[in-house]
Amino acid sequence: MFLGRVIGEVWATKKMADLNGKRLLVVEPLDERRDPASPKVTPVIAADPLGARYGEHVVVAFGKAARVAFGGDGDFAFEAAVVGIVDRFDVPEAPASWHATEPPPAPAATTKGAR
Amino acid sequence: MLLGTVVGQVWATKKEPTLQGLRLLVIQPFTTDGRSSAETLIAVDPMGAGVGERVLVVFGRAARHTIGRGHDIGFQSAVAAILDGGALWDGRSIEPHVELAAPPAVAPPSKSKQGA
Repeated sequence: MFLGRVIGEVWATKKMADLNGKRLLVVEPLDERRDPASPKVTPVIAADPLGARYGEHVVVAFGKAARVAFGGDGDFAFEAAVVGIVDRFDVPEAPASWHATEPPPAPAATTKGAR
Repeated sequence: MLLGTVVGQVWATKKEPTLQGLRLLVIQPFTTDGRSSAETLIAVDPMGAGVGERVLVVFGRAARHTIGRGHDIGFQSAVAAILDGGALWDGRSIEPHVELAAPPAVAPPSKSKQGA
């Protein structure tokens, strides 16, 4: 499980049937790497049964915990899910970026053309 | 789960028998800073994704489930969706298809091999 922030959403028509009707959020893990010199972050995609909004902090769980968040432990074609929307957190050493309520400026390179 | 771009395909003749008939893609993970990830991963593809397409990659039990052959099977990552698009909170969109540039010249081709 990790603490992350919802930074986006993706959608797909061609997908495994059990992803139908599930919101797929782009979640940026909050960690110590959020310093301007090393902004590269590989976000996690998490299925969202709770309705988290952009910019909100969420707890993301993996594996069985993620399946249980959708009411079962059968076979699902996802293994990460939002299991909590955070009201507040108290991490004295957290970088200021953890508390940001606005997105950072988009990097000069657009996602178009980048992988 | 993560997002990635299909950058290639791999083939193997000598392989774990449970991998028989499965398509293996080379996938480069999506990063938020707009630069390409240095790492790639291999995923089984039951969806028929093409090179340059953005896909959703799942791991573990979810990955084995995508091909519906039970759980005693020799891989742990698979494509579960081909993206139509996406949006980021900083206003950028995630395009479903990526124009892949020619690979950077890591080392100049050896002249001795030319014409061989």
